[in-house]
Amino acid sequence: MPISINDRRLSTLYSTWERSAQPIGKEQALEILAQVGDSSRWSAAKLATELKKPGMTTEQQIALAAAGMSANEKKDIATILDQGKVPLEPSAKAFLEQVIGRTTPTPPPPPATNGLNVSGSQANGLSGTTRAGASIEAINITTAPGGRLHMEDTLVVGKADASGKFSMAQLTGDQAMREGDLVRMRARYADGTTSDWVTVKASGIEAKDTRNAVVALFRIGMADAGGGKVSVENINASRQVSEPGAKLQFTNNRTGEKTQVTVTDLGGFPEGFKLNGKSGDSFSIAASDGVNNTAFTQAVGNVTVPGGSPSTTDLIPDPALHHDELDSAGKPKFSKVNFTGPLFVDGGKAEDVQQGQIGDCYFPAAMAAIAKHNPDAIANLIKDNGDGTYTVTFKQKDWATGRFKDVPVKVDGDLYARSYGGALYGRSANSSDPKKMELWFPLVEKAYAQWKGSYDTIGAGGHVSDVFEDCLGADASSFSINHSSPDKIWAQVTKNVDAKKPIGAGTYGEDQEAKYTNTGVYANHAYSVMGYETVGAEKFVILRNPWGESEPAGNGPNDGIFKLKLEDFTKLYQSLYFQD
Amino acid sequence: MAKPPEPIEDVIPSATWVVDAEVMEVLATGPQPPKVDAKPGATSTGQKTASQTVKLKVKRVLHGEKVEELVVEKPEAQYALRAGNHGPFLIDATKTILGRYGPDSYSWERIEKALASKP
Repeated sequence: MPISINDRRLSTLYSTWERSAQPIGKEQALEILAQVGDSSRWSAAKLATELKKPGMTTEQQIALAAAGMSANEKKDIATILDQGKVPLEPSAKAFLEQVIGRTTPTPPPPPATNGLNVSGSQANGLSGTTRAGASIEAINITTAPGGRLHMEDTLVVGKADASGKFSMAQLTGDQAMREGDLVRMRARYADGTTSDWVTVKASGIEAKDTRNAVVALFRIGMADAGGGKVSVENINASRQVSEPGAKLQFTNNRTGEKTQVTVTDLGGFPEGFKLNGKSGDSFSIAASDGVNNTAFTQAVGNVTVPGGSPSTTDLIPDPALHHDELDSAGKPKFSKVNFTGPLFVDGGKAEDVQQGQIGDCYFPAAMAAIAKHNPDAIANLIKDNGDGTYTVTFKQKDWATGRFKDVPVKVDGDLYARSYGGALYGRSANSSDPKKMELWFPLVEKAYAQWKGSYDTIGAGGHVSDVFEDCLGADASSFSINHSSPDKIWAQVTKNVDAKKPIGAGTYGEDQEAKYTNTGVYANHAYSVMGYETVGAEKFVILRNPWGESEPAGNGPNDGIFKLKLEDFTKLYQSLYFQD
Repeated sequence: MAKPPEPIEDVIPSATWVVDAEVMEVLATGPQPPKVDAKPGATSTGQKTASQTVKLKVKRVLHGEKVEELVVEKPEAQYALRAGNHGPFLIDATKTILGRYGPDSYSWERIEKALASKP
């Protein structure tokens, strides 16, 4: 039903706009003003020309029209504002409200935050007020998707003074703020409680926002949901796919159909998000943060729906190579091969595990220890999805509750390989043939790299006990051997071995390398503790080198398994890592 | 870095000498490489040791020109040498010791097999 407008010419004009379905902007608002402001002195056409003269202020336009406007004509404007079907642009609406003397409602105050206010620009860092002495924590959630950070993995960037003020708080390194970045902040008080989260869009740093939303393609998982639909999910829901509020555009490379989605406040996809497509479809993904790449002309990469007809494309994007395996131009020196061997040949065994050319000895040492003492845990860790993909379910501790939660990570069978054959990184002892190699260990290592960020992230050293926690969902600890008595060390070894709980050991690194040369034990290296033995009064610790070879002489075949007298063990090893 | 030694197939082509030798003396030690920042007790941290210049007494030459002594360079690496250390040394044309762990990189059996298949 048409709205009732008394002024005949205005009514005719409004009907035209209703038919065109175009929104009313400032230009059209001036047309309305011309129709209602005409008088014996000014015709509508002349008034329209006058109102649109360059340099006219809003106040002058309103004054000019008001002189010829009757009460009924004011009502007509109110009717357009309150009952009109043609949408009004905000500027036009505000202008017409002003014409009829309505005051623009004051925007509601921002929701009160529990104790943290951020003020000013971020030209010199983050500034604001909170409680006196509180620590200021922040994370750059624009850059975080590119790493292995959760949205709660904040850094302490400053401290409030005695009056509660803080200033010049800076994020550094990969998280250094740039114009337009979203920074999530909170204050942590002396009693350990925290303020509400506050998210700030950084401004005043550069003339222009040039950094677009970062997209973690490797966290985007797709699956054929049937009925011509493809479900899209964040494979690692505890970390972001992109920054909250960013728009991602998925283009089905087969059909050309484009679908946009807005990244949720937690950096993932809305629940139940689906695309039109099927197994084997590949989607090109482009992102916009609302400022950059708004036309989605620059794609960030492709993700393929697993299954369907055989394809040469990746089923799931793979973790990036370690930087040692990149050439000077940053290009990979090794290519990927699809390994299709069995997940398990005869269950998960310590002897299956062979460390590859990557500095992550703590990881294979931990996996071999778990396989030795708790092989069921290996069987439960990885499952074959039957479509060329595998799901590895790691565990992550929630430090607030102390409980572990599942972190499923999906990978395919692609592994970086040498030109003359064999996997470059973690591999299995049974075969180097891509069709025969037992896959559980290399794929769990690949999933670990995927979860933690890349092979580069996991290949820079770490702790065996962290891997125990990440794979078993149970607390693990470590202690320094040189600060412990041989009795305490022996008690821990026998306790864990008898309880079928994994245990590992690490050698000294810095400044003590020379004592290892010619011993058959290597510095700065992690080993699995396979067991113990007593011969008369002599106590022995049985160890395994995760290389699957290289051991002290006189220990049988060169399979990396050897035993050391407890007194030698305490001299050569620095740390003991064990499941509690 | 506690990575395994490089595959011997990658190293043997660069070996000018393969010798069974013993370290007689450490003649010089280079500057200490930068300290790697790592969590206490972490392994595979990538910390390297200083380079060294060492004199080797050669007991047997498996490959290369016959020599009785060699002064060679141990590069910055994850191992260190001292007098009395011994074993198979693979040495390149610049008299630099090859293999990530020097004389502990490869077994004699593996070296002999690789030399036999060297073109």
